[in-house]
Parts: sequence; C-alpha cells; structure tokens
Amino acid sequence: MWSSRGGKPMISANQTSASDVPPEVPDQVDEAALAEVMRVVPLGAGVVAGTAVALLVLGYLAIYLLVFLPRGPVG
Amino acid sequence: MTEQAAEARERRILGTELLWAFGVGVLIAAVLGVIVFTALTADINPPSNVERIDPKTLHLSGEFAEQNLGTTVGADGGVTVRVIATQFMFVPRCIAVPYGRRVTLRFATPDVIHGLLITGTNVNTMVVPGFVAQVYSEFTRAEDLLMPCHEYCGLGHSDMWATVQVLPESAFKPGQDGRVSCAQR
Repeated sequence: MWSSRGGKPMISANQTSASDVPPEVPDQVDEAALAEVMRVVPLGAGVVAGTAVALLVLGYLAIYLLVFLPRGPVG
Repeated sequence: MTEQAAEARERRILGTELLWAFGVGVLIAAVLGVIVFTALTADINPPSNVERIDPKTLHLSGEFAEQNLGTTVGADGGVTVRVIATQFMFVPRCIAVPYGRRVTLRFATPDVIHGLLITGTNVNTMVVPGFVAQVYSEFTRAEDLLMPCHEYCGLGHSDMWATVQVLPESAFKPGQDGRVSCAQR
C-alpha cells in the first residue's frame, strides 16, 4: 500500500477505489423507440451509400461522355 | 424486444442487403454494357496486338529501318506510321497524320521499355523491347499534338517527346514514294 510522507496509508482497506467498475444498472430502454430507430437506420445507411454510388456513376458518365468519346476511336 | 420483432428486423435488413446487391449487379451490368456498346458502335477497343520483333536488329532491315520510319500511304490508301522509341527520343520526332482518316501507328524499341500517349486522343500504349506496339486511331483535331514518353526510361526521360502534326486532307500529300513529312512551319 502506498504511504503518505508520514507513513500513514493513503487508502484504508475498507475504502473503494474510484476506478472500480460500477454495479450494472439496466438501461432505461424504450422498446418502441428502439424499434423505430432500428427501422430507420438501414434506410439512412442506404441513402448515404446510394448517394455516394450515384455521385461515382455520374462522374464516370461525365468522363465517358465528355472526355473519352470525343477523343475518338482507338484499338 | 420480442422474438417476432427481432425476426422482422432481420428480414428487413436482409431485404435491404439483397436490394443493394441487386443495384450493384445492375451497375456492373450497365458498365459492361457500355464497354461492349462502345466497342461495337464507336470502334473503341483496348489495343491488343501481339507481334514479336528482334530488338537487336530492328534498325538494320525491315519495316523499322531508318528509311521506312515516319508516315507512309500504302497503295490501298491506308496510312501507316512507324516510329522507333529509343533512349531518349522518338524517331522521327515529328509525325504527319491526316485529319479524319484511320491511321495505324506502329512502334518498336531497341533498348528499354517506353510508353507513349498522344494528347487529346485515346492513343496510349507501352512499347516493350521484343514486341511491336500497334494502335490505330482517327485524329479529329487539326493541330499539333504532343506525344511524350510516359514510361520512365532513364535520366533523359523528360526530354523524350515527339509532335504529331494533324494535317487537313489538302495538306496531306504523299510524295511519289508514298511518304509524308511534317509541314515546315
């Protein structure tokens, strides 16, 4: 046990450390609200991913139509 | 959450994933379709000529001998350009090509790997010792185009470039030997 300058222990055996894991307390979950979130989250992910892919496809089409085709045939 | 609700959620997520997979499949099919459509309608394909040549003797005789380099118009009217890519220059340094006609470009190298592109066109190939790189194209911009080496080939790489002079039909006049040189400007 770490001692203070006077040789007296800083923490006595019956004290608990602040770093102790607190006892588990069940979350106050509203099942209806959780169901609503779980319904909306995949849709949001789809919108974000869909927007990213749509931008990628638009970039591809722009380069294909405005740069690649005007440069003429090759083979 | 009840078991039924969890099952319903799993089904919904699976449905979303299947929908996404279907969308990706459609996109891949569309990109492949565009490639095939372009190849069939616009005649744009990746160059795919495989032809061997001995790099040690290509300058001594045959089509890459010095007197055969440059632009030649054949008896059938076909335009062929032969160029040697060597450290650190293209021979010849200026290439005359006609506007709006199909041109066959043939390249060979006696030393190391080179590469080239012609600005403003889809011409882009590597030139590998031992092989003839062949690309055909049709030039639709009547101007001087830059043709740099784009494959690092040594200390003088950045000085290795040539000019492609696209001439209108009125100025593209082959001599009696069928050869065409760059116009002096």
